Amino acid sequence: MNCDWVRQNITLYLYNELADDARHELEQHIARCSSCAAELAEQQQFQTAMNVLPVEEVSPNFLTAARMRLQESLEQVQPHRAWYHRLAFDPAAWLRQVRFSPALASIIFLVGFGGGIGTMYQALSSKAPAQAPSMQVTSTAPGEAAISGITSIQRDPTTNQVKVQYDKVMPESVQGPVNDPKIQDLLLYAAKSNENSGVRLSSVDALKGKSDDPRIRETLTYSLRYDSNPGVRLQALEGLGPLVKDDIRVRNAVLEALLNDSNLGVRTGAMHALEPVKADSSIRMALQQLAKEDPSEYIRHESQRLLASAPNMY
Amino acid sequence: MNDAELIREAQRGNHAAFEELVRQYDSPVLRLAYHMTRSEQDAQDIYQEAFLKAYRNINTFRFECSFYTWIYRIVTNLCLDYLRKRQVRKEDSAIISDGEGETYDLLDQVADQRSGASPEKDLMRRELGGRIAKALDKLTPRERMVFEMKHYQGLKLRTIGEILNTTEETAKNTLFRGTQKLRAALRDMR
Repeated sequence: MNCDWVRQNITLYLYNELADDARHELEQHIARCSSCAAELAEQQQFQTAMNVLPVEEVSPNFLTAARMRLQESLEQVQPHRAWYHRLAFDPAAWLRQVRFSPALASIIFLVGFGGGIGTMYQALSSKAPAQAPSMQVTSTAPGEAAISGITSIQRDPTTNQVKVQYDKVMPESVQGPVNDPKIQDLLLYAAKSNENSGVRLSSVDALKGKSDDPRIRETLTYSLRYDSNPGVRLQALEGLGPLVKDDIRVRNAVLEALLNDSNLGVRTGAMHALEPVKADSSIRMALQQLAKEDPSEYIRHESQRLLASAPNMY
Repeated sequence: MNDAELIREAQRGNHAAFEELVRQYDSPVLRLAYHMTRSEQDAQDIYQEAFLKAYRNINTFRFECSFYTWIYRIVTNLCLDYLRKRQVRKEDSAIISDGEGETYDLLDQVADQRSGASPEKDLMRRELGGRIAKALDKLTPRERMVFEMKHYQGLKLRTIGEILNTTEETAKNTLFRGTQKLRAALRDMR
């Protein structure tokens, strides 16, 4: 073993990458060669200096944001399949594509719903039902329809007649159990699309007991993440709470609410919802961060309490 | 479920199984991407692209290596592409941007957070951190990657070789070259 070999391998020695025999020989050489010993000291110094640029654990906020973004993208991606699979028409895959085209989905929903109501009208008027219908549709008299907008006005100067073209909105109401798929369609639509937060609140409230249904779960997750009204977010959280143990997406969404929601009530609700999974490493990491630096004293205190009561499994 | 079972489930189209795999490996993946890019936005892009690629190609996974090696292979390739593009753009600035597009100085990352650290010491650490970051940027993308995985992520050279689809010997040589360059660039600091 000569000095050249030692200098080539000092880096490996310090990174613990040398075989035992080579390691032993290198140590023997360094013990009797001052020049190689100086080289070793320099390399050690270099490695210590490089640690000034630390590798810190990513913050729970950063990790949760990355996970949520990935989840959204995964919804729209399908794994590559063999060429012969591509030749076959897959209605389920096609429906999945449609599900995530909001405009198209809305149109299909409205057409489908309108068609459904029309069919039901015909069915109801043609024969008496054998049993009470699960959903009842009530229409207002045509004269009571509201004008939703005027689309054009044309005046004939010779006759002094004015032609006003407008659209009318006909109010209708339906009644039925929450289990009814058509009622559910309406509630899901209202929860995501309605301008009125009171309507969204009522929709989410009606849906929250049915979070086992994937469509309802997805809508509740959407409401928790994006609804501008804290009351709606709280209702959604209530529906999602029982699922944090079994559904990772729900857990991520609730964790995101705990870390980032602007409303203290929602954050507190999220913290309590996560209590059954407090031993999860991501949750622990988030709680440690909150216990240390959250601006809210209550959140800091609760985080400490949960951490103290959770067995550290890592 | 272990990794192999999760992968098989994911190959059968089980979305939840793939997400379980993501949760097992995504923290080190994001940490690696962040340390390599020093930008939250770029790190998130690499993280996202890596797992989407893994998901799209999960059916091609043949269990010839571990999922860990496979996902790291994808991430390191994305990081190498990123470094090559960055070298072309010659962006040597220490000013970087976070997820919201806010810019801040890389040197802030190396400030000594310990209580009692003197401002002079802190300034020196910041200066040293900035110089190290610049010296790292001068390495070739491959040298940078090997050094990152060995020094900062603590992987074995054998694993690094597997991840980079090369031999352990080549990984050793690349590490040696990278270390020599860094020492030369930072020599006057001692």
